[in-house]
Amino acid sequence: MSDGLTLWLTFAAIGVTTLMTRGSFIMLGEKARLPAALHRALRYAPAAALSALVVPDILLDGGQLQPLNPKLLAAVVVVVVALRWRNPWLPFILGMGVLIALRKGLGW
Amino acid sequence: MSDAFRKGARAGWADFLPMSVGLIPWAVVTGIAMRSIGLSPVEAMGMNLIVYAGTAQLGTLPLIATGAPLWLIFVTALVLNLRFVIFSAAIAPAFHDHHWARRVSASYLLVDGVFAVGADKMLGAREPEWRWGYFIAPSVWCWCLWQVFVLVGVLGAEIVPRDWSLEFMVTIALMLLMIPMARTRPMLLAAVAGGLGAVLLRDLPLRLGLFAGIAIGIASGFVAEHWQTRRAER
Repeated sequence: MSDGLTLWLTFAAIGVTTLMTRGSFIMLGEKARLPAALHRALRYAPAAALSALVVPDILLDGGQLQPLNPKLLAAVVVVVVALRWRNPWLPFILGMGVLIALRKGLGW
Repeated sequence: MSDAFRKGARAGWADFLPMSVGLIPWAVVTGIAMRSIGLSPVEAMGMNLIVYAGTAQLGTLPLIATGAPLWLIFVTALVLNLRFVIFSAAIAPAFHDHHWARRVSASYLLVDGVFAVGADKMLGAREPEWRWGYFIAPSVWCWCLWQVFVLVGVLGAEIVPRDWSLEFMVTIALMLLMIPMARTRPMLLAAVAGGLGAVLLRDLPLRLGLFAGIAIGIASGFVAEHWQTRRAER
């Protein structure tokens, strides 16, 4: 992990994206309009980005495709729990529980 | 403080209060997650104050943890925040008759929940002070709630043993953000294509596989929606 100044610069850079996106049309004022096609395409950005971050993390181990691993099993549990129950804590508790049990209990 | 402002503030706060409770687990988890990659309490709270965007914070943590280059972190945060461009475009008319200082604070404070609950009423209200009150009261409330419960998570993370793979909380949190999005078929396709694209293209230099995956995901969703509407029209 980077430290010191680099880290704070990183925070500032991420903070800039917050202001840029939230402020875009609010700051531009009356004349600016978001084109319809761009509007539609932008709606898919968060889902695509979240998935592009998560899926490699749960499918790969040291850069290699690892179809059966503790993280993937824990991830499946998280999805099932989240779809089945509304409690916001439960997916975290059970997901972490499965991962810790598999890693520490079974030494996987 | 004008009467209209006070009335608006009360209405906005009352509308947002019930759903603001849902922020608490997110805030606590975000606090723990920031500590799990090795940020100190001061660094974690600094990030939380500067960035103030949960998804972008959680999404960039794995990149910060592995020492990814700054531009990569910047672009990833930008993509994760792109939905705010849509919110900003939708809600902008409600701020047009306001001073730039108010618009700057709105640019920092505009979050998903307040937008979802209040955008329609704000756009429909003619009185500018009522509109401002209706926006700023729940937004400041949300900010306070977020900071306090992130701090709870940041400090609470100390008592969890080191070898509990806490960094996986980040992955769980990102998955939980994704699940409600994948309700429609084009959105599900965008997620599946984005994820698999990132896995298949992982060996591209400069970690460009991440962006290639995102681009593939956006394109897939866009095209799928296009086909879906074309089929429905026929």
